[in-house]
Amino acid sequence: MLRYQENNELHKDFHSSTNMTLDYIAGKYGVDALKMILRRTGRRVYKSIHDKLASGDASELVEHLNWFFMREQGKYQLTVEEDKIVFEVFECPAQKHLRKIGQAISPYSCLQTSEVNNGMCEDTPWQAELEIVAPGHCIQTFRKVVKK
Amino acid sequence: MIPSDHFVRFYNEVFKFLDEKGELDEYFARIAKNQEFFCLQQFKTGGLQGVYDYYLKIRHEENCQMDIVFEDNELIMKMTRCPSLSKAIDNDAGVCSKYCQHCLGWTQRIYDLAGLYQIFDLGDWDDPTCCEWIFDDLSKAQARFEEIAETVPAERLYKNF
Repeated sequence: MLRYQENNELHKDFHSSTNMTLDYIAGKYGVDALKMILRRTGRRVYKSIHDKLASGDASELVEHLNWFFMREQGKYQLTVEEDKIVFEVFECPAQKHLRKIGQAISPYSCLQTSEVNNGMCEDTPWQAELEIVAPGHCIQTFRKVVKK
Repeated sequence: MIPSDHFVRFYNEVFKFLDEKGELDEYFARIAKNQEFFCLQQFKTGGLQGVYDYYLKIRHEENCQMDIVFEDNELIMKMTRCPSLSKAIDNDAGVCSKYCQHCLGWTQRIYDLAGLYQIFDLGDWDDPTCCEWIFDDLSKAQARFEEIAETVPAERLYKNF
């Protein structure tokens, strides 16, 4: 079950605010500071997802990806196996919206995905990877790593 | 991608980072610059009517519980449940105690540029309610401020004139 149950109207212009903020923080404080804030967001805001992943349960992560990308009318494919989740986003809804309103996409746009995902997985048996296939097209992979 | 639904919780983490450095206001100025893209022209050309129309859209898209009254060249926006602060509070990471300052920080700058006068009762940071009064006439704004200042504590009352 999702910790944050948003199901009403969407204000996609918030993607513009995120985009501006990525540039602002990286430009003024450096990329490491931006990564730190994004990781904190992944771990602390998504504490419920993080804590479930720590106990080996990826159900809320799967529900989160599916629900919020569906709400944003993203084009994606979600494949769930016991120890591996592959989430291929064919057209990033945030980048699509930025293009629609004529705003330049931050060079740190995909960092929001990789670092928030890393924050969710921090100190859990899961690891996140991000492969950028093309602009707006990425493959997010979550793997459950068995420590020897 | 941080979902647009969750932007405010990310924003809240940014506020905490900048508050530790004492550098929130510079960021608020940057937010205002970004907001110019979305509403400054509408506020400049439409005046109070432009602000009214903008917030009708925002009330719908952002799921605000807000009463908007526009009469006699006075626009009153009484937020009975701010969706932004509500999300920042309903948040496992905890709310930044200066969260509401961002709204004042960008709107004051936009109203300054649009030649409008704002009185803002920001309320308390742990209660998602607030109230704004907007005017296009300075003397009317000053007179209203005198009235409001009699009942609203000075520490939560702001104006741009």
